[in-house]
Amino acid sequence: MSNFTFVSQPVLGGFKQECKGVSIIEQTKLGIVSVACPNDGDAALAASIQKAFGCSLPKVSGVEVSDSGTMRWLGLQPQQWFVLFEHSAEQGAPLATIKDELGDTAYCTDQSDSWVSLAVSGPLAITALERICPIDLHLSVFPVGTVARTTMEHLGVIITRTGDEEFLMMSATSSADSFLHAITLSVKNITA
Amino acid sequence: MIINHPLLGPRDAAEFVYLGDASLINRPDASSDDAAQAFYEYLYLRDNPAGEHKELWYHEQGDRSWLVVTRNTLTHEISKVEIARDVARAAGGSA
Repeated sequence: MSNFTFVSQPVLGGFKQECKGVSIIEQTKLGIVSVACPNDGDAALAASIQKAFGCSLPKVSGVEVSDSGTMRWLGLQPQQWFVLFEHSAEQGAPLATIKDELGDTAYCTDQSDSWVSLAVSGPLAITALERICPIDLHLSVFPVGTVARTTMEHLGVIITRTGDEEFLMMSATSSADSFLHAITLSVKNITA
Repeated sequence: MIINHPLLGPRDAAEFVYLGDASLINRPDASSDDAAQAFYEYLYLRDNPAGEHKELWYHEQGDRSWLVVTRNTLTHEISKVEIARDVARAAGGSA
């Protein structure tokens, strides 16, 4: 009898595209953990994060990077954050990375398999995104280290600015193909 | 229509879901003697003002917050946006 081994596959098969100066790369090794704190538990959580990861708790719309530079905390809403870090299946459950450190100060949920992540970058990335993104992405309004949760083409999207011309965009895996289609089509429609 | 979210800044109304009159926050006390009458009024009796109206909006495609939006029903002008939790707590609620 054969021994079968399950191997996890990227949602979009590791999609990569370079078109009209806009690069779209699926992020296939991203661990995502949702962290929520109890009512009035912000201070206790902030203390445990400072101790464990050497960063402060971001405000809503803010992003904080751990002192190791490998972990990003996104402030999505009052009392809730998403933590992003590099992670591959061989490393075990992504949840343990966060949960063991935070103990009782937070409620943690593994979200890694629920989101498809695309790094969209290039000089014309903002030109492509302004067609589908209702948020003002101008650098003066949406600087590096800002996150927003919004909709694009009716799909819920979390968008983070990771560089002057670089964005990380996350949407539900269940509609990953539609999400990719929305972005690639918007890039294709760039006329500049 | 743009709703100027207190935490996030201006957001398109398409990101929100409308619930209704903000008086829905003030749920009657179920243990009071006149609870039946109070709940009848709470559920069924609504003002329908032509002008300023306080209403509940939910930021479903954003930070999932409930907001109390003061909107003029004639002009759609929004004069005030507050976090519903703050409004409820200021009124003595436990939200």
